[in-house]
Amino acid sequence: MANRSGEQRVIVIGGGLAGLSATARLVEQGLKVDLFSLVPVKRSHSVCAQGGINACNEIARQQGFSEWMHMDETLYGGDFLADQPPVYEMTHWAPKIIDLLDRMGVPFNRTSEGYRDLRLFGGSLFRRTHFSGATTGQQLLYALDEQVRRAEVDGNVTKYEFWEMLWPALEGEGDGRRCVGIVAQDMRTMQIRAFPAEAVVIATGGCGLIFGRSTNSVMCNGAAAARCYKAGAWYANGEFIQVHPTAIPGADKCRLMSESARGEGGRLWVPRQPGDTRDPRQIPEGERLYFLEEKYPKYGNLVPRDIASREIFDICVNQNMGIGGERMVYLDLTHKSREELDRKLKGILEIYEKFAGQDPREVPMKIFPAVHYSMGGLWTTYTREVREPDPIMDRDCGVDEVVGMKLGAPNTMMTNIAGLFALGEVSFAYHGATRLGANALLSCIFDGLFAGIGIKNYVAENTDRPAHSVNNTVFDDLIKREEQKMQRLIKTAQKGAGNPETNPYQIGREMGREMEGAATVVKFAGGLNPALEKIRELRERWSRVQLTDSGMWTNQNLSYTRALGDMLALAEVIVLGGVKREESRGSHYRTDFLKRDDARFLKTTVAEYEPETCSANIFYREVDAPMVKPRERSYGKSGDAKPAPEKEKQTAGAT
Amino acid sequence: MTEHQTPLSKHHFLLRRLHSLSGIVPIGAFLITHLITNSSIVWGKLGGAQHGGDGGMATFQHEVNFIHSMPFLLLIEVFGLWLPIAFHSVLGVYYATTGRGNVGSYRFQANWRYSLQRLTGYFGLIFIFYHVATLRWGWDFLPFTNVFIAEEAASTTALALRGGLEGGLIGGVVVGGVYLIGITALVYHFANGLWTAAITWGLTTSAAAQKRWGYVCAGLGAALMLAGWSAYVGFVTLDIDEARAVEAALHGPAEGARSANSDLSADAGRLERE
Amino acid sequence: MTTTQDQSSTNSGAASSEAAEKRTVRFRIQRCLGPNKPAHWEAFDVPILAGEGANVISCLQYIARRPITADGKETDPVVWDSGCLEEVCGACTMIVNGQVRQSCSCLIDNEAPNDGDVISLQPMSKFPVVRDLWVDRQRMFHNLKRAHAWTPIDGLHDRGAGPQETAKNQETRYIFSTCMTCGCCLEACPQFLLVDEPAKWDESFVGANTIGQVRLFNLHPTAKEEAGERLEVLMGPGGVSDCGNAQNCVKVCPKEIPLTEGIAAMGRATTVKAVKQFFTGE
Repeated sequence: MANRSGEQRVIVIGGGLAGLSATARLVEQGLKVDLFSLVPVKRSHSVCAQGGINACNEIARQQGFSEWMHMDETLYGGDFLADQPPVYEMTHWAPKIIDLLDRMGVPFNRTSEGYRDLRLFGGSLFRRTHFSGATTGQQLLYALDEQVRRAEVDGNVTKYEFWEMLWPALEGEGDGRRCVGIVAQDMRTMQIRAFPAEAVVIATGGCGLIFGRSTNSVMCNGAAAARCYKAGAWYANGEFIQVHPTAIPGADKCRLMSESARGEGGRLWVPRQPGDTRDPRQIPEGERLYFLEEKYPKYGNLVPRDIASREIFDICVNQNMGIGGERMVYLDLTHKSREELDRKLKGILEIYEKFAGQDPREVPMKIFPAVHYSMGGLWTTYTREVREPDPIMDRDCGVDEVVGMKLGAPNTMMTNIAGLFALGEVSFAYHGATRLGANALLSCIFDGLFAGIGIKNYVAENTDRPAHSVNNTVFDDLIKREEQKMQRLIKTAQKGAGNPETNPYQIGREMGREMEGAATVVKFAGGLNPALEKIRELRERWSRVQLTDSGMWTNQNLSYTRALGDMLALAEVIVLGGVKREESRGSHYRTDFLKRDDARFLKTTVAEYEPETCSANIFYREVDAPMVKPRERSYGKSGDAKPAPEKEKQTAGAT
Repeated sequence: MTEHQTPLSKHHFLLRRLHSLSGIVPIGAFLITHLITNSSIVWGKLGGAQHGGDGGMATFQHEVNFIHSMPFLLLIEVFGLWLPIAFHSVLGVYYATTGRGNVGSYRFQANWRYSLQRLTGYFGLIFIFYHVATLRWGWDFLPFTNVFIAEEAASTTALALRGGLEGGLIGGVVVGGVYLIGITALVYHFANGLWTAAITWGLTTSAAAQKRWGYVCAGLGAALMLAGWSAYVGFVTLDIDEARAVEAALHGPAEGARSANSDLSADAGRLERE
Repeated sequence: MTTTQDQSSTNSGAASSEAAEKRTVRFRIQRCLGPNKPAHWEAFDVPILAGEGANVISCLQYIARRPITADGKETDPVVWDSGCLEEVCGACTMIVNGQVRQSCSCLIDNEAPNDGDVISLQPMSKFPVVRDLWVDRQRMFHNLKRAHAWTPIDGLHDRGAGPQETAKNQETRYIFSTCMTCGCCLEACPQFLLVDEPAKWDESFVGANTIGQVRLFNLHPTAKEEAGERLEVLMGPGGVSDCGNAQNCVKVCPKEIPLTEGIAAMGRATTVKAVKQFFTGE
């Protein structure tokens, strides 16, 4: 048993931007941190973010921009589903966060005078996006990784890399229930151990793996969040999954293709003859269907992201007109000159060249929408703080008082379980029904820095009942349970291909297909309900699952299978939330309920796990919207201040 | 960093840099002069015959005389050459054992040069030892040797390179082969070492500069290679009797200016020929 | 590079005209059950559909679903390490057909365009094997600690912007900052060898990536404060002078980081520091 010394330790699970910024903050607050990650933290999924990080800055401010407007854009982008005080706080901290990252040595692009350069990005007319080449996420992650490494050298952080969080350790009942540590497993030695802690921070990112192929990294399976959910934590807004319209489908995953390809004249088309297998270059103009241009003569290929995703989906899935019958359409740039393409799009074209093995300057690219980001996640709370509007930051806000989050409140970003905090993508906060481009990096780092102070205060409030005083049986029972779970799975191990019916990878594949088909771009009751049935069938099959590896050393087969069981629980939450939300809002688009329905559904979906039935109980909570009144989200339509192409470019390079 | 430092780890940087430096000065510098001196057997002909022969022999004798007239020659040799070479060799062999060449997997040009640098170092070390032992220290118990006599520089060198008096064709081929490979190896080792030294010391900090300096080193190496090979060819092809005549003329046969260590085998060789 | 790309484009052209052309690629995989266990080879046949974008990872996923060797023997699924699959996290680095690289960006249509082609997979040889293709690269992260690879900021509170920086300096730093600690440069380096014992890491060669990181941090106005400590490490055993200038690092770096320029720059910096130390005693 670790940490019986009485030292105050906090556990952080996940070493992406949220986990690392929380770790750095907690250490600064005088706490020791045990940092758990499935991968060396420097390899976390945050590295994949490319576009940039949004923040008001002095240039934009001089042109009329403000933190308030950044908040407004974020809420508008999220179709007003986000609780407003956290968004207020995040956008108002944003400039300070950029400064901090700058001090940490992030190589932000510079102007000729040596100031930080800015780029135009999603949902704004102002240059408010800071960037570091085409690898902003990587650069930010490394900067935080370095600070945490420094803390590690100082003895304030202990890293447990290649360790898998198995279960949160809870003690007490009802209001007294709290999280006092975790049980985790070393993925190499397979050792299962308990780690008591004064508080536990979950910062494990998204759950793209549930959808099979997504733009996420392979460890983004949502299992840690699912385990917290199964242990009693609420999971909110699960049905809101962002799908990026243009990704490069690969056999293993989908890689992002920035929308700037369309911004520079890229045209989407499929052969008019379904199943046409000719080389695209040999298909004459008249036999091509430029489906976006035909359907949307005004905006053509530059319709907003969600519409583009839906139309591509429609062409391939409903009309079965994808290239060669596959789920793919052409994104064609070959009519542009090589020189122009190289000048404007070299970086992204090289990515395509590298992973698709073809030169997009010569051959049209094959693309398809891909699951990209989960707006939903563990439900978290905060303490409101009512303030006077700031004359500069809230210029022209038009309200008498603003509501932010109280800094240092012990419940900041706490789940419904005391002592269990959720930060970053795994939290449902900030993004509402759709995330705005280049806001993800901001929300992750802000979460860690802001909530870190609250967590410190939570620990301080509970010094009278430290983790090392917790009855040992809490941990011993959990270890025993997890060992039994493991042994049960190991014992099913059967060499060879086994039965597809009970092969974990086969079950995982079927889950991915079902989820991608029913719960992403276009949803309707007729698709969602069968998906729910399918998930229940898969869960039943999972209970009879058979491993192929019986080894007790670095058994990835076991890890995956165990996670799969938990992913199925989240899959149910995602689908069930979708079934019940009978409206269209942001990324959640129901063909049977096309309108946004604020009266019924301007509410947070909350899923609570019922151990008796092993399924989700859905209820709703009011959205905390004290400042901005919901208005129609009408990107791209005439009369709106934000033209569609602008939106496209901005979301294009988003994380 | 660690508590228990060995002298090697304590002075790690200094030793590494001295190793690098010693390869250039004095060893490299000596290599240049040595090859220039030796190749005088060829380029000496440019001045034409003044003391008989083709001019090359006389020039070479002249050069050798100059060296051997230096005061404290032995001290200069010991501290200026033999010890630096020993230092460079011992450390070099030790450093070479800290790496494992992998040209089998990574067939890049620079990687080949890396492996060759170590290979030529090993061979060069053996060659230098053989060369100095036979021609300087007079270790005539080795096969195919002929002792070098400073006053009869060209003729004794020529004989040595032909595998001695009794070497015959085999001796000539063996010794000639060893010399040709040895010279080539050492010149390569020096030229490539000069290229890496510029990186080590931080003179060529850009890829372009490294490339440019590479051409300079390659040029220098080619010139030295030419000097070395032409010297070999010059000695192997020269007429030994003519050389003796030139040497005798230069020193004056009556003076009998033969040094004390002049040795019997040379006399024997002469007698035999007569 | 160009030849393989040419091949691939002709292949895919043929593929799309003849509809999905199927072929079989044989994977020879060096397997090992755990640290200090003997290695052995196993072969697996994987069906490939031309133009479907198969890469080494998708083939390993296929083998995981169906762990049966080419001669029909049932075996344990192959273990490997991977992350982003976009060549930006560095996790899936392994030796493919004798060359170190990220397996995610290794496309089968390029590497094995014909039916019956063989692809061999081995774990990196410079790091201890955990199991099969998965190696433990902790030493790389340890070396980052050795090299003080961080900016020593005062704290996380708001203190205004960081130092101004010229665009040129930023560009130089940026490229070194894209290093994903994948270890390709070390695998290909003849001077960087496997060191099993962590106690000996501090005396062993740091390798190109760490030297590059010293270059990166010594260029930053704030991080420069610890430049002396970093150079001290590079002047000690296992420092920059252990580089043998084989320059494989820069050839195999997937991010095309000018590692050899970093090494030369650190050669210069250590020279200057040594001379200063000699004359000033500092």
